[in-house]
Amino acid sequence: MSVMLQTPSRASTGSTTSVQPLSRQNTMSSYEGSRSARQSKRYSMSALYMSMSANESDLIIEDELARAQKVLRDLKTKISSQSKKNFVLEKDVRYLDSRIALLIQNRMALEEQNEVASHLEDATDIQEGAFPNDDRTQKYGNLLFLLQSEPRHIAHLCRLVTMAEIDSLLQTVMFTIYGNQYESREEHLLLTMFQSVLTYQFDNTPEYSSLLRANTPVSRMMTTYTRRGPGQSFLKSVLADRINSLIELKDLDLEINPLKVYERMIEEAEAKDPESPEAMLPKGITQEEAAENPKVQEIINPRLTMLTEIANGFLETIIEGLEETPYGIRWICKQIRSLTKRKYPDANDQVICTLIGSFFFLRFINPAIVTPKSYMLIDGTPADKPRKTLTYVAKMLQNLANKPSYAKEPYMAKLQPFIHANKDKVNRFMLELCDVQDFYETLEMDNYVALSKKDLQLDITLNEIYAMHGLLEKHAGELYKDENSHLAIIMSELGPAPPQVPRKENRVINLPLFSRWETAIDDLTAALDITQEEVFFMEAKSIFVQIIRTIPANSSVARRPLRLERIADAAATSKNDAVMVRKGIRAMELLSQLQELKVVDKSDQFALLRDEVEQELQHLGSLKEVVMAETIKLEEVYKTIRDHNAYLVSQLDTYKSYLHNVRSQSEGKTRKQQKQQVLGPYKFTHQQLEKEGVIQKSNVPDNRRANIYFNFTSPLPGTFVISLHYKGRNRGLLELDLKLDDLLEMQKDNQDDLDLEYVQFNVPKVLALLNKRFARKKGW
Amino acid sequence: MRIYGFQPCREFHIVVLGTGGVGKSCLTAQFVHNEWIESYDPTIEDSYRTQVSVDGRQVMLEILDTAGTEQFVAMRDLYMKAGQGFLLVFSITSQASLDELSTLREEIIRIKDDEKIPIVMVGNKADLLDQRAVDRKEAFAISQQWNAPYYEASARTRTNVDQVFIDLCRQMLRRDDSGYNDDDDYNGGTRNGGGGGGGYGCGQKQEDGSHGSMMKKRRRKRKGDHKCIIM
Ligand SMILES: Nc1nc2c(ncn2[C@@H]2O[C@H](COP(=O)(O)OP(=O)(O)OP(=O)(O)O)[C@@H](O)[C@H]2O)c(=O)[nH]1
Ligand SMILES: [Mg+2]
Repeated sequence: MSVMLQTPSRASTGSTTSVQPLSRQNTMSSYEGSRSARQSKRYSMSALYMSMSANESDLIIEDELARAQKVLRDLKTKISSQSKKNFVLEKDVRYLDSRIALLIQNRMALEEQNEVASHLEDATDIQEGAFPNDDRTQKYGNLLFLLQSEPRHIAHLCRLVTMAEIDSLLQTVMFTIYGNQYESREEHLLLTMFQSVLTYQFDNTPEYSSLLRANTPVSRMMTTYTRRGPGQSFLKSVLADRINSLIELKDLDLEINPLKVYERMIEEAEAKDPESPEAMLPKGITQEEAAENPKVQEIINPRLTMLTEIANGFLETIIEGLEETPYGIRWICKQIRSLTKRKYPDANDQVICTLIGSFFFLRFINPAIVTPKSYMLIDGTPADKPRKTLTYVAKMLQNLANKPSYAKEPYMAKLQPFIHANKDKVNRFMLELCDVQDFYETLEMDNYVALSKKDLQLDITLNEIYAMHGLLEKHAGELYKDENSHLAIIMSELGPAPPQVPRKENRVINLPLFSRWETAIDDLTAALDITQEEVFFMEAKSIFVQIIRTIPANSSVARRPLRLERIADAAATSKNDAVMVRKGIRAMELLSQLQELKVVDKSDQFALLRDEVEQELQHLGSLKEVVMAETIKLEEVYKTIRDHNAYLVSQLDTYKSYLHNVRSQSEGKTRKQQKQQVLGPYKFTHQQLEKEGVIQKSNVPDNRRANIYFNFTSPLPGTFVISLHYKGRNRGLLELDLKLDDLLEMQKDNQDDLDLEYVQFNVPKVLALLNKRFARKKGW
Repeated sequence: MRIYGFQPCREFHIVVLGTGGVGKSCLTAQFVHNEWIESYDPTIEDSYRTQVSVDGRQVMLEILDTAGTEQFVAMRDLYMKAGQGFLLVFSITSQASLDELSTLREEIIRIKDDEKIPIVMVGNKADLLDQRAVDRKEAFAISQQWNAPYYEASARTRTNVDQVFIDLCRQMLRRDDSGYNDDDDYNGGTRNGGGGGGGYGCGQKQEDGSHGSMMKKRRRKRKGDHKCIIM
């Protein structure tokens, strides 16, 4: 096995950087556990061996654990690549959302229509490709290796780019360079990058009150980070149920602003009886006056109780979710805590918690509560009243993290008891969030492993590479002043950045990553500061575990207590399996070497090694459970983002068809009338449409539903007729004439209900259905 | 039909927008409650109601103070739909905070479908002269392009606080007086009409094509107006 290694300090200390280097002392001192540095090194070393053996293709372990792990690995890869696709699609949909609005309003010039159309046309999967020559491939491979493994460059770049430049950088960094969301090395490198940016922010923000507050490229990156797979599944498991059950109560009004309550009270009274005393109450009074009105108080008081109950419920699940909170998010909280302590040694817990809260609650939890749809937690848009309730819940949670001043909205002071009751609990929770281990040791190991893998590679598009190249070039003066730095050398060899290629010509490149500056190390022990005995011990343990995992559990060799010599011997003499024989021989060699070094003792059946092997096997046994449980959770995540993907794609399709339709109509004058073939009718039963969610509410009595069906027809592109029929009757009960424009406009205005008297359709679902059924070759 | 000039009290919705920490809440609290808030609690969504007198006329204002924190972007659409006048706030100590306004303005114009929607641009924290990062001239030039008045204000010293709100009220009143139609939720109205300045002239063409005109007619219809025949 050849492991390449750079100077051992590389992973944690940058040498020629202007970024605050992460000092080893600093990170070590934050180890709270009792493990000494040496122990932890040994621990990581062992992990290294285990992970290397997992990557070795020569011995195929096919036990249940291995199979479960493979399923999980594949799932993770799929989530990572799907996330990226969604990110790109979301950008397209956002762009088109704004353009289509103009188009519907007839305010788009022809050239612009063409531009939008061209944007749409290439919104297909990008093909694979390669650089024209090996030299480019190598240089870019080297550049990207450098950027990936030395996060300080990107950290620095993040501080230099403008908000306008951030989008392309964001995509490349979050979904390509560190795009494997579940791979510890990439995750840890990304977190290291956040750390160096945070450090810089702390060092350069004059008052702590404005810390972490501005919207910067970094804050945007952190948002994107919190919304990747792990963050998404956490939000879903912690919030989705609570939010969904609130949203179902469409008419639950928990407004506590006395003025609004007062006004609504008058409105309702007027509607009922314009002569009633309530209807005659004076309008235009002040908030204080409204608050003093006994009727208003009577309405508000029970609402305060309910709001408090609801917010308590949210808080409870959030706090219970402590252990489920993604590691990276907790680790960022931890950084905020230690940076605060470092910069403001006198800072009390309140200050620290406020800052943690401005990340955890303000940027992670609360946005998902107030706009759950954009976090894929719910399907539809919440109605006004539940939306308001959710906003109150978020405000209450935020008030727990900040010291609220009721100067702004005096009526919020009524919720003070909630704050008092929970303040300490939440502060404790936030400090517990910080209670996670650092990863520097593992990261170092992971980096070694990565280097030893021959297949370190990145799927990246031409335009991503060129945009990155361009950004680095633009900020050359800041990023690589030292012309001897590795970055400067590669950049000067690469020459000027090529311009972006048209979307059609963009290609995905499978770029092998490597570094010309890393040299192979022969002596892991020196590099890692551990002894030769330990290396032998670890290797032996790893080999025995592998062997045992490949022999059938019921074979006599696997009987307990394990007899290591017997196992090694069995492996070395196994038939028809050269790899196994090699392993067995190596295991025997190691045993005798360890014996000579007096690490283990044959007379006690190598108990020291045997017990560790046994422990590792038990650990792997329970690992299987863990792997299975994680798989189940991730299946859920994958489903969510796939659904979201389907939604985005159908949205794009709808726009595409609509645009074609509009364009062919404006061309229609000059061209011959296009063939106008009537499509349909297509028949759908009530039950079908209900199942697909097209019918979101039905006033048809249950026993009649089986007799109701619908016909969908498209007489002209962009025009639809939906008719409702009752079995056995000739004539329809109702006919609705629909235009695609209307539907799109309703969707744009978040009006989800399409009223058909007997039933209520869901607009986005209708669009999806029409899209599926009536997609004409060019437009609808 | 509306009767102009006789209503005792006009009601307007103002939305205060701008990136995090520029002082939106401080400005609003100063204006409404005459209070200076030193602490910084990030806003999620606060609403205020106040009555002011503008050139002798009573105006009831509903002011929505929004979240500058970008993670709440998805709420913006709703605010913008509800707003009739917009305060675009940045801090003179941060160039980036000014840069963000142009996206906000574009979004407002798109959502309101109206280039003349009342807007006032505010450079807040004018008291922090030694930290100034945005040239007054630069900000002014931008406001000119947008056809919006520009004020430098300080919530801390209460400089120009009333002025920015009052200016916005004047703009809204002027529009209201001239019968400008901005509430298409109330009268299923002519969205492109009345000097919206948005027509690119392609609407005309469509009137000729048979289904073009149909589409255009349909387009004006609001929800619930679909041709729904019960047989
Ligand atoms: N010196 C000075 N400080 C100000 C001024 N206005 C606001 N601040 C301070 O800036 C910080 C943020 O003010 P806020 O009004 O809460 O900011 P915001 O725009 O509402 O922020 P978000 O709610 O997060 O969007 C507070 O600490 C204020 O004390 C001002 O005019 N001068
Ligand atoms: Mg605020």
